Amino acid sequence: MAGIRLTIDGQEVKASVGMTVLEAAQEAGIYIPTLCADPDLKPYGGCRLCIVEIEKMRGFPTSCTTPATEGMVVKTNTEALNEVRRTVVELLLSDHPSECLICHRRERCGPFDICLRNVAVTERCVTCAKNGNCELQDIVDYLGITELPFKHTERSYPVDTSNPFFYRDLVKCVLCGKCVRVCDEVLGIGAVAIINRGFDSKVATFGDRPIIDSSCVSCGECVAHCPVGALMPKVTERPEEEVATTCTYCGVGCGMYLGVRDGKVISVRGKREGTVNNGFLCVKGRFGFDFINHEDRLKTPLIKKNGKFVEAGWDEALELVATKLGGYKPDELAVVSSAKCTNEDNYVAQKFARAVLKTNNVDHCARLCHAPTVAGLVQSFGSGAMTNSFGEFRDAGCIFAIGTNTTEAHPIIALELKRAVDNGAKLIVANPREIDLVRWSHLWLQHNPGSDVALLMGMMRVIVDEGLLDQAFIDKRCENFDAFKASLKAFDLGSVERITGVPKEKIAEAARIYAINKPSAILYAMGITQHSHGTDNVIATANLAMLTGNIGKPASGVNPLRGQNNVQGACDVGALPNVYPGYQAVTDAKVKGKFEAAWGGSLSPSAGLPVTEIVEAAYEGKIKAMYLIGENPLLSEPDITHAEEALSRLDFLVVQDIFLSETAKLADVVLPGVSFAEKDGTFTNTERRVQRVRKAIEPIGESRADWLVTCQLGKKMGAKGFDFKNASQIMDEIAAVTPSYGGISYKRIEKGGLQWPCPTPDHPGTPILHTQQFTRGKGQFVPLEYKPPMELPDKQYPLVLTTGRSLYHFHTGTMTRKVEGLNILKKEGEVEINPADASKLGIADGDRVKVASRRGEVVAKASVTEASPTGVVFMTFHFAESPANRLTNSALDPVAKIPEYKVCAVRVEKA
Amino acid sequence: MSKPKPASRADNKRTILVCNGTGCVSGKAFEIREALEKQVAELNLKGVAVDFTGCHGFCQQGPIAVVEPEGIFYTKVTVDDVPEIVQSHLRDGKPVARLFYHDPVTDEAIPCYKDITFYSQQTRIILRNCGHINPERIEDYVKTGGYDSLRKVLSEMSPEQVIDEVKRSGLRGRGGAGFSTGQKWEFCYKAPGDQKYMICNADEGDPGAFMDRSTMEGDPHTVIEGMAIAAYAIGASEGYIYIRAEYPLAVKRVRLAIERAEEKGFLGDKILGSDFSFHLHVKEGAGAFVCGEETALMASIEGKRGMPRPRPPFPAQSGLWGKPSNINNVKSLATIPVIIARGADWYSQIGTEKSKGTVVFALTGKIANSGLVEVPMGFPLQKIIYEIGGGIPNGKKFKAVQTGGPSGGCLPASLINQPVDYETLAQAGSIMGSGGMVVMDEDTCMVDVARYFLSFTQDESCGKCIPCRLGTKQMLDILNDITHGRGKMEDIDLLLSLSEQIKAGSLCGLGQTAPNPVLTTIRYFRDEYEEHIKNHHCRAAVCEGIVSAPCSHTCPAGVDAPRYIRFIAKGKPGEAVAVIREKIPFPSVCGYVCIHPCEAKCRRGLIDEAIGIRVLKRFAVDNDNGMWKQNSKIATSTGKQVAIVGSGPAGLTTAFYLAKLGHKVTVFEALPEVGGMMQVAIPDYRLPKDVLQNDIREIEAVGVDIKTNTKVESTDELFTQGYDAVFLAMGAHEGLKIGVKGEDSPGVMDCVSFLREVSLGKKVNVGDSVAVIGGGNAAIDSARTALRLGSKEVTIVYRRTKDEMPASAEEVEGAIEEGVKIRFLSAPSRITKKDGRLELACQAMSLGDIDASGRRRPEPVEGGEFTMSFDSIIAAIGQRPEIPSRFELSLGRGNTIVVDPDSLATDKEGVFAGGDVVKGPASVIEAIAHGRLAASSIDKYLGGEGDIDETLAPPEEAMKPLEEAEEEMRVEIPAPPAKERIKNFNDVELTLSQKMAIKEAERCLRCDLEEREE
Repeated sequence: MAGIRLTIDGQEVKASVGMTVLEAAQEAGIYIPTLCADPDLKPYGGCRLCIVEIEKMRGFPTSCTTPATEGMVVKTNTEALNEVRRTVVELLLSDHPSECLICHRRERCGPFDICLRNVAVTERCVTCAKNGNCELQDIVDYLGITELPFKHTERSYPVDTSNPFFYRDLVKCVLCGKCVRVCDEVLGIGAVAIINRGFDSKVATFGDRPIIDSSCVSCGECVAHCPVGALMPKVTERPEEEVATTCTYCGVGCGMYLGVRDGKVISVRGKREGTVNNGFLCVKGRFGFDFINHEDRLKTPLIKKNGKFVEAGWDEALELVATKLGGYKPDELAVVSSAKCTNEDNYVAQKFARAVLKTNNVDHCARLCHAPTVAGLVQSFGSGAMTNSFGEFRDAGCIFAIGTNTTEAHPIIALELKRAVDNGAKLIVANPREIDLVRWSHLWLQHNPGSDVALLMGMMRVIVDEGLLDQAFIDKRCENFDAFKASLKAFDLGSVERITGVPKEKIAEAARIYAINKPSAILYAMGITQHSHGTDNVIATANLAMLTGNIGKPASGVNPLRGQNNVQGACDVGALPNVYPGYQAVTDAKVKGKFEAAWGGSLSPSAGLPVTEIVEAAYEGKIKAMYLIGENPLLSEPDITHAEEALSRLDFLVVQDIFLSETAKLADVVLPGVSFAEKDGTFTNTERRVQRVRKAIEPIGESRADWLVTCQLGKKMGAKGFDFKNASQIMDEIAAVTPSYGGISYKRIEKGGLQWPCPTPDHPGTPILHTQQFTRGKGQFVPLEYKPPMELPDKQYPLVLTTGRSLYHFHTGTMTRKVEGLNILKKEGEVEINPADASKLGIADGDRVKVASRRGEVVAKASVTEASPTGVVFMTFHFAESPANRLTNSALDPVAKIPEYKVCAVRVEKA
Repeated sequence: MSKPKPASRADNKRTILVCNGTGCVSGKAFEIREALEKQVAELNLKGVAVDFTGCHGFCQQGPIAVVEPEGIFYTKVTVDDVPEIVQSHLRDGKPVARLFYHDPVTDEAIPCYKDITFYSQQTRIILRNCGHINPERIEDYVKTGGYDSLRKVLSEMSPEQVIDEVKRSGLRGRGGAGFSTGQKWEFCYKAPGDQKYMICNADEGDPGAFMDRSTMEGDPHTVIEGMAIAAYAIGASEGYIYIRAEYPLAVKRVRLAIERAEEKGFLGDKILGSDFSFHLHVKEGAGAFVCGEETALMASIEGKRGMPRPRPPFPAQSGLWGKPSNINNVKSLATIPVIIARGADWYSQIGTEKSKGTVVFALTGKIANSGLVEVPMGFPLQKIIYEIGGGIPNGKKFKAVQTGGPSGGCLPASLINQPVDYETLAQAGSIMGSGGMVVMDEDTCMVDVARYFLSFTQDESCGKCIPCRLGTKQMLDILNDITHGRGKMEDIDLLLSLSEQIKAGSLCGLGQTAPNPVLTTIRYFRDEYEEHIKNHHCRAAVCEGIVSAPCSHTCPAGVDAPRYIRFIAKGKPGEAVAVIREKIPFPSVCGYVCIHPCEAKCRRGLIDEAIGIRVLKRFAVDNDNGMWKQNSKIATSTGKQVAIVGSGPAGLTTAFYLAKLGHKVTVFEALPEVGGMMQVAIPDYRLPKDVLQNDIREIEAVGVDIKTNTKVESTDELFTQGYDAVFLAMGAHEGLKIGVKGEDSPGVMDCVSFLREVSLGKKVNVGDSVAVIGGGNAAIDSARTALRLGSKEVTIVYRRTKDEMPASAEEVEGAIEEGVKIRFLSAPSRITKKDGRLELACQAMSLGDIDASGRRRPEPVEGGEFTMSFDSIIAAIGQRPEIPSRFELSLGRGNTIVVDPDSLATDKEGVFAGGDVVKGPASVIEAIAHGRLAASSIDKYLGGEGDIDETLAPPEEAMKPLEEAEEEMRVEIPAPPAKERIKNFNDVELTLSQKMAIKEAERCLRCDLEEREE
């Protein structure tokens, strides 16, 4: 970066081009007071406190808006400046509860002390939750203000307490605009704006309604950015200590600090340095931590006796489980691990299955989300992971988001998309539903559910026909192009329009935008994978990227967005039936030999069953006992009724979890695991970044770290290699047996994560895959044909049901449903239905409706909305009260074995 | 039946053009046009066309219709006038004289607009087509040479040449800041970028400014042409005109004009066959004042809240949507085609060295001719106001002018002779702004003006930066406090320091200029702030917080006129006198001769005519039953003694109140009669002696001892005699000299001596023909007295005109009625004695610039000498006090005694002074007011509370303000015929009858009972 030199307060300061004077000063450790400048936000120049004197410039320019230039001579602390600043702050204090601010006893006064000057409680700094942390206090001290020359003119507004997590007290607002700006510039939501003029200017929602009635998504960024006590969390306790860790919710892997007080997690704060989220968090990350200390947490092992759970000691429980599991043949056993658990937990779990139970019947919920990604991208590229890092997206020329409702499911990645669009990227959204992302998009392709292959092949046909392909890249880096090209023949735009329901012109326009505005990145999520042809969908995206050379370069690639916090890691460390850690095939004798040597003992030579087939095998009685860690298939499996029956037929079911989930209730033994706040370990986020999870509090009750429970079970069953003293040792073993993790150790990722492949201790990690060559050598074009979904609407079941997520809940809700505030924001699952369909069925918004499929029925509230296209209804699957997966089709993708969650036929009627 | 289509303008001998600007439209100009068309069609007039134009800028006279080619200018036209105009003028060729414009000064009817001063003094460049062409027909514009400049630019000039031409013209931005337009274009031209924007700022938000609106309504194509030329120069292919949505007619006409220009190839792709393309869009603003600020305006176009942002980056680098953008004001753009057509050299000859070209002002407020005024830069303000503007209506005095809207400043009368350009205005603390010019007269309170503008800017502050949002709020609160009588003297300094910090600290021009009205009003009218704070007095009687009724507020003694008027209305004159007596001991004198400043501020005057407050007072005193005495009290003796020198209104008032407070009071009077000027200067025909005696009797009744024929030469002696305090109220009895040769000749006398002699019954012979020199009440009194002494011919010689005469209008009228002649604009230059007569040589004068008194200064007319001859000459040009030297007091201007204005204490311990000895010659009521103040402060000096207020009248019944006032002129005062009057010194007016008095009293609006908001 080019450097410039300037002089600030007589001190020579180095800065880089593009920096403001304020930033240059701050970097040099020179304090300039400000209330409205913020590194996350564009310069504003509103508070007028950061004014400086600059030689050769008129008046007092604001340092937050003035670019630093070579040779500039700046003064930040002259009497003339401070005189203006003092007036500004004195004016501010005329409109702010300020009695304490200028009181010489402020430091010595406690919230419960009687004020000697009879200042009202609401006016006192010491009773303000921001006390001691307030930027206005700092500035008053800096300027040495001790008197108030102006008449007090405080405005009176009621405190808005409508949001469950924070309150808005506009009396304390200094109108720095940070909340408005962060909500607009960063979030792209604009839930609040400044309304009125003059003295009556204030921050308000549309129509000046309570914030809960606005478009606010409760991410709390406004609260985090507020310099004063106007926006404060309702939990006002201050933590005694803060522990840096990684969020447990989605696959983004946000860095955060857990605030601990009295052994409880009481706050969360976004971590800026060394993280992927730059300090930003979503509503779940910031406020969804009540589950950790929730009273329903499992505190002791439970053993079911006469149909009822009885609390038991660890020894008794582990003894019982060890004995039971020891009584079955390997093929009759299965371990289901968890994408919520750490890499270490998963590694130990799969090792337990393979080395102790001698079975490869180990899998986890990746099967239900991104199995096609692994299967498809391995076929095309040789590696089944996200090819790029989402920090690059801001530089993209085009972003093609297909089958991803990013703002709901990966809110922090959505911020990057917003930033990309702000930077000039073209955003194409392909989604049957009018998701929030459509607001920012240049083009929205509203294709029929399940028609992705046709849509993508149609686009590729245009690219080929119009010569927009990157022939050089194809020739040099890829293979099998001709066969693929031939397969495009079937996808003339007429047919594609018929299949997808998208007008030809739009398909062609999308193709051109994607092919021309390089670099172009494809993002997708479960809208692509959760189909009976999910693997084909994935391959289609890979073909598209290769066709235009949009792979192996920054801000391009094929980017599956993984759902669970550690679904990537759980796959990486081998919680899959067909591969050992590092995607090494169990069927490869050489690999098997290596692991037998490492773990000591013989291993099964054949691939195990994926979780979907495990359930099927349980139904058929082939699997008799199951060790289920942190999963809740009774909400997450398709066709739950069937899954419930399957699990009931097991001889013996052990469930290890933090709550007594719907599945745990069926168990014979329940083992209490711990939440992410109580254990050390690592999560690997969706962009392959291995990041630390740190223990913030002691395990609740007698619960134990999941890896420890599995290790103790292993030892009870007489196995060796389970003597890990801590999680770090497990990572060392992972590194030893997993080539892509070869260079990863806790020491190296202390300050920030590393992206695999990271084969050696000196390897810097790999932000972008396939830069020189594909993992499999050449990229493989795979010819595709269109296959319709397995279950299409008919007379009996005339509507398509598609499922998805809500921002406010996570997966089966085991954690988020325990957070009171999240349940206030979203208290029940709704059936979204188009007004045209609703009126035909006589359904009004808010009616209770029955949704029935061939597999079951569910009652939920109807939400009549244009967001849902005609013929399609939408449900989330978080709610046990209205479990969408009672309806979904368990038809599987033949390769990846993923069920077709996204499309099934249903009938809706008034309940 | 299809609508008759009038023949086009070109084929016709006569065209009547109806103004269709917003002002005239609101006066039913559309209906007038329709009626004209219908009439013309019905009468089947050949060779007559009806058309319309945009605004003529003389909105005061609207609706306007002009008949071309002769240029007959019809004002205040109504639909009912249409048949007459059509039949008499359009058919028969006889213009309708009653609809002509009447000059406000000369009252002369002027048929043609070219001859109206309002127009003849203007130089119209920006407004050149307004009022002459049909703004909805592009052909009209093209016919005037429209779009030729665009054609010239596209075919002959490079962008650099265009920019150079504009730079050389010296044109500066007419939006306010006055930055060089050419330079601004150059910045944008040089800024790198493939997409640039040309923006027209038509967000005219200043209260009272409407020149941008009128330009767009009257000549939209000139703005469009200017924009296209600017766009070509800077390299913009897209443009926006940001018009406030409150200007629907302008929006409509500009939209239509854009469409027509596109059809004709003046806008759009490849304009006039060149490679230059320019697409113009209209963006309607929602009426936020701050959107006139360019960065806020761009934010608004982008669809964001209109809030400014700091510069740099300047719009020329990063403007609309981050692209290089150039913003010019409507007027700047309207000038561009003319500069291109006629050249920079021609344009730069107009105006001053640094301020080139013309400027348009929206002249409004207290001015006879309000409207749009375009003059060259550097044009004198005085000419704008008095020649183009026709002066201040209703004979009021010019007080100040606010230029530049709420961001500008108030210039006082003392600066009225300044030229108007950027530099001069800035020096005076104001700005050119977008050209608002609000004229204020004596009825405007300058604190209230500052408060008004501050409330505007505070309301319009966008809230982004703290100094503007909260600083203006604090200033407004302080100003509110001051106008409500809650101010403190420190507030003035706080306002000044706040203003400085707000100017230094605010983000955009709104905040940076918001304090200007406050700063300039403090700079030029600080005394008014102090009066509000110290005396809770508003001299314009408008500040609702301290003024309950303007009449009583304006009364120097604070007599509660509305209350006693209500008693009169109820038929209770005794109670009315009691109310009057609560504040003054001279109700009778005031009933007869008060100069009644109250009536000038009476709110009834805004409807029809002011209440006859004085005549009502006279009615009350003439029907007094003495009931006031029931509640009048005298305190027990304090043992203190006070000497009062002079028995005029000031001295006797002080004596009266001090005596009531228990002090022993002695009044020393040098003359043989009691009453001072009331006795010896006001002639009997105005104030009969017995009336004066009535009041003096009551004063003596409270124990005041009056020693006549006793002249006091030393105050020290009084203290030696045992007096504890002395009050000096000797009045101003020394007549001033004219200062011309020969005034010492016999037969020349001063008015004070003359009136005194007459009053004291001495024989004075003035002969048959008398000249009185001067224009005040004393001059009138002398003239009328001379008549009564038997003079055949009395002539007042006055150097200004009737409007400037300080004498009361009714006195002047009385004198004229009685046959007094007045030679206006005549200044005496020499007196010589010839043939036993006095020859008075005079210089003819004319009125020139405005002087510090707010009146136009008389200047000698070259060669205008003339001579008149008289038997005697009375000089009535003023008086001054005579102060014995042994008083050893500091004397000020006009030989007056210097006192502390709050206590009337002189620099000598225990000595106070008031009345004319302090103020110079003034009125009875002002002397009484001083007397009250002196009584109060002397009592305090002697250890008392100084409380002289009394409640003498019984409580009144609850009443409400008058709800509806139908027009009803004030009562006519009954008077004997002039012929009879001059025969003797009898009272010239008669007391009202009870019926007349009640009727007059019932006209009172009772505005003191109005409920007021805090």
